[in-house]
This record gives sequence, C-alpha cells and structure tokens, in this order.
Amino acid sequence: MQARVLFFGKLKEIAGGPERSVDFHPGETIAELFERCASQKPELAPFRSSVVASRNQEFAPWTTVLESGDEVAFLPPVSGG
Amino acid sequence: MSPVTPRPNDDLVLLGRDPISPDTLVRHVRQSHDGAVVTFDGCVRNHSHGRATLYLEYESYESMALEKMKEIAASLHTLFAIDSVAIAHRLGRLEIGETSVFIAVSAPHRKAAFEACRHAIDTLKKTVPIWKKEFFADGAIWADGELPPVPAATPAAKPAS
Repeated sequence: MQARVLFFGKLKEIAGGPERSVDFHPGETIAELFERCASQKPELAPFRSSVVASRNQEFAPWTTVLESGDEVAFLPPVSGG
Repeated sequence: MSPVTPRPNDDLVLLGRDPISPDTLVRHVRQSHDGAVVTFDGCVRNHSHGRATLYLEYESYESMALEKMKEIAASLHTLFAIDSVAIAHRLGRLEIGETSVFIAVSAPHRKAAFEACRHAIDTLKKTVPIWKKEFFADGAIWADGELPPVPAATPAAKPAS
C-alpha cells in the first residue's frame, strides 16, 4: 500500500522536498508512516512532537489507520494572518 | 479576485497570489439590510522580534487551507447573528505594508459583526494551514505559529502503541 506524503513550511526543507510516495503495510497508522519517513530522513524525527498530521485534508490523530492512496500531510505550527 | 454580485449569506473566500482588494470584499458583504460592516486588515509589519523585516513569503496547503477558510465562514453564521462574510488570504512574496489577510463581516447590528470578525481572524491563525517565512538582512526564519487542534481518536482508530 502506498500513501502520498506532503511536507510544509520548515518540515519541507528538512524533508528535502514537498512530497514523496511512501509504502506501508495494511493496518499502519499515521504515526508509523511518520516513523517510516524519519527512518529515511533522520532529521525529521525530532519534529514528531511539534507537528500535527492531516489525512485527506482533515486534521487527524496519530492513531488513524491508513488506507492505500491516502494523502497525508505533516504540518508544523501554522502562522497565517 | 473578480467582483461578485452580492446576495445574503453568499460568502466569499479567496486564497491566491494576487493583491487583495479590500473594497471588493467590503462591497461583497455590504447589503441594504446591514447596519454594520467590520473589517480586519492584516498587513506586513516592518519588524519582528526586534529585527527589521525585509519581506515575507507565505505558503499554504492550498486545497486544505481553502476548505478550512470556508469552514470558518460557515461557522460564523451559526455562532453570530451576521449577514455575510468575505475572507481573503494572500500567498507568495509580500512587501512591507501590503495586506496579507482581509476579513469583512456584515450584520444588522455592530456587536455581532465585531465579535464574528475577531473570531474569524483568531480561528484562521490557529487552524488554517498557511505558513509565513520572515526575511531579514541576515537570513530568514519560519515564523512561530500555533499547532492546530486535532480531533480525538475515534474508537475505530488503533490505540497508541
């Protein structure tokens, strides 16, 4: 199964790009998807506690179980306005 | 940002790189049955944390940001006795003094318009996925922000390991 993963703001710079496709096993959560990204790019790991996630453009808890084709974004604190 | 023929409750939500036209937004919400239009004009300040700002760059998760802005507009109608709402946020490079966000709220009476406008900008700053990078003479930083609230896990979700 595969998810489209998006990074924004500071996280985009640390991830080295705005998006990537990440393979995962059935039943995995958003938290596990983040761990997969962090294993590819260890600099991401420290940001786990200071970002939130969205799944298919809705804010989602880390425990959300993923489905193939999901669009998951990792979002640093927002600063619009 | 083209002018739109105003109708009651016909909200206008814009997110883009073109300069914001406050007049267009005010005209959009202002109806003959309104007694008040309250606006918020968020503009680019020339300093941040004691340093002189050169310019700002805004980026967003555009499709989600637009949806979140529409949700804010819709929520104002349920929370306050207002007529209509216009919200615009700009993206890309903005120079000092330019408008980055503009909100206009019309209502029969001023109290609801003031409260709704304040609620709209406060909520936008907490929940809309937009990020601001501040450029100084000696470098650039992503602005401090707020972490959006996330709904609690549903029973269907896997327990945290």
